Amino acid sequence: MRENGLNHLLSIGTIATSFFLFGSFLLLAQNFGSFLGSWEKKVQIILYLKDGVSETEVLRLQERLRDEEGIENIRYISKRDALEVFKEDLAGYGGVLDGLKEEFFPASLEMMVGSDFRTPEQIRALATRLNKTPQVEEAQYGGLWLERLSVVLYILKWGSWVLGAVLVMIIVSVTANTVRLTLYNKGEEIEILKLVGASETVVTVPFYLEGGLQGFLGATGSLVLLFFIFHIFSLKVSPFLSLYFGQLRLSFLPIELVAAILGVGMISGLLGGIVSVRKAWGT
Amino acid sequence: MIHFFQVYKTYPGNIDALADISFSVDDGEFVFVTGPSGAGKTTLLKLMIRAEQPDRGEILVNGRNVARLKNSQIPPLRREVGFVFQDFKLLHYKTVYANIALVLEALGHKQKDISKRIRQVLRVVRLDERVMKQTPVKISGGEQQRVAIARALVNAPSILLADEPTGNLDPRLTVEIIDLLERINEFGTTVLVATHDTSLVAKYRKRALTLDRGRLVA
Repeated sequence: MRENGLNHLLSIGTIATSFFLFGSFLLLAQNFGSFLGSWEKKVQIILYLKDGVSETEVLRLQERLRDEEGIENIRYISKRDALEVFKEDLAGYGGVLDGLKEEFFPASLEMMVGSDFRTPEQIRALATRLNKTPQVEEAQYGGLWLERLSVVLYILKWGSWVLGAVLVMIIVSVTANTVRLTLYNKGEEIEILKLVGASETVVTVPFYLEGGLQGFLGATGSLVLLFFIFHIFSLKVSPFLSLYFGQLRLSFLPIELVAAILGVGMISGLLGGIVSVRKAWGT
Repeated sequence: MIHFFQVYKTYPGNIDALADISFSVDDGEFVFVTGPSGAGKTTLLKLMIRAEQPDRGEILVNGRNVARLKNSQIPPLRREVGFVFQDFKLLHYKTVYANIALVLEALGHKQKDISKRIRQVLRVVRLDERVMKQTPVKISGGEQQRVAIARALVNAPSILLADEPTGNLDPRLTVEIIDLLERINEFGTTVLVATHDTSLVAKYRKRALTLDRGRLVA
């Protein structure tokens, strides 16, 4: 590898860049997924009740909802409670809120969604069904944004694997070209080795290993860079984002995935070496 | 032993390199292969190490049917046949030692054995050990050819093929190299030397196979 240093360095750099992109996608998908998971636990449905629904009707409705599959922790918020909550939330405005009357606020039933009912489709179906209840003016649920973010997560996850497949082709091609260049540079040496009776293994294996090593070093470089950036992000940016999204628990790629990335890098590089040698010698 | 039985070789474009070649060379013989440029001398030598494949005919080298060898059987054949090239084929970026060691390393010898063998073979070709650390470009043409011969001999082949080994050398060095090959032959190695220089054949009084336009004429 020494004779062809710059080309090897460029090749390793290209592989590292490709793996960095792939790793970034995976890392983003993983943390986004766990972020969505933690928010799914907090998903609730609010049923705003029509004016004039009596306390008795509310109690009966609560009873019925308790039997409904997927609903937990039902809490009744009367018009008065709603006004109090509003005033508490906007306490800083003082006297401006004094004239507000409880008639302006709808009574509501707030409920959590059970852990088996937290997919966006299930939440939407449940809310749609509850919306048809005669006492209910409107059913609201915080799942719409969750639904949209789930689509983003889906794209991220699949995007990672599509990118991964493209990446393998890039690595095979990049290493094959670099190994081909080495083959060209060492053409005379190889010819001599063949003529003096060196076995095919002795002549070809160094080139296979060269490809494998390039892939491995490229993958290692990308993971080191990714970890470094992840570490900086966790320290500097994560606390800032926590202000808006609550406590963020970021995690780096699991060790199995790190090992898989290194393995894929090495195998793709090895494949590049094999492709190049086979092409050059037609064997 | 080397046997050629009605061997034919044609290159693309219907160029007959060799036609109906039959001859035998006994173990320990010294044979010149002569003829003008393009007569087929190099092709003849290359066929013996399967660097070329005949179109027809059989070639036996040390009991191996060269024309019918599988790819995996070619390296063992080549380990028994040393080859010296007209243009030396020395690697300019490696030292003389590394050029010779390359062969033994590829064949799996240990470093201690490599060092010992290289010193021995340098004595055989009468090269001072000091040249070991030099790169080929820093030594003379005659010395380069001796290094090339040393490399061909270092694995102790039973047959040595030399393709125009004196083609790039002056008359004095030519005699030195042929004398060297003759001495190697005296140790028991079968030697075939391809040369267009008929005066060498006359001077050394060895058996000669004469080729003309791909046919054996004498």
